[in-house]
Amino acid sequence: MAFASPHITADAIEATEFMDLTRHYRVTGVPKTIVNDRIEILGALPEPDFVQAALDTPDEDAPPA
Amino acid sequence: MALLSAQDEQVLTQHLAAIDTPVSVLLFTQTIGGSESGVVARQVLDEVARLNDKITVVEKSFVLDAEERERYGVQRAPGIVILRDGADTRIRFYGAPTGYEFVPLVEAILLAGTGKLDLAPETMDRLNAVDTPIHLQVFSTPT
Repeated sequence: MAFASPHITADAIEATEFMDLTRHYRVTGVPKTIVNDRIEILGALPEPDFVQAALDTPDEDAPPA
Repeated sequence: MALLSAQDEQVLTQHLAAIDTPVSVLLFTQTIGGSESGVVARQVLDEVARLNDKITVVEKSFVLDAEERERYGVQRAPGIVILRDGADTRIRFYGAPTGYEFVPLVEAILLAGTGKLDLAPETMDRLNAVDTPIHLQVFSTPT
């Protein structure tokens, strides 16, 4: 996705090496994806589901649901 | 001791043969106060790069090469940046790319070297419509 869009960056993080991040994002199972520090995607989803979950992020200024 | 077996190397060499564009892999490491996995990361990258002469590994200092670290937004060490003919792919790896991280690393290098995305047309339509920054952080473990 990052390769396809200049607006997307993708970090692959080895969870056991960066325990501060793992704790911060409450990673208790992998794979776990965090989108814009706000949205959590658990597990390896099929492509259409992952894309929908990753791109349908609420506006930054919107109040939390 | 090599991390890749002779059989692994044979399979990988065949996969990487599709690369037609130079790929630079920047590895940002921190010697003092950094993770020891930087050494493992360097070994993994060197063993992959040895299989295809279009792949180059360049080690950078997380501290001393601050300008490049900031240019690519590298947040941690070891941090890996993959460039396609010098252009940023916006794909990063943090930590030693072993275990479950290894295949995505190879796929990212292959993607950078071929430019061939394997995404559905519907996905591409959605990605082409993205006009605000999206930062994906994917956590995985070595085993």
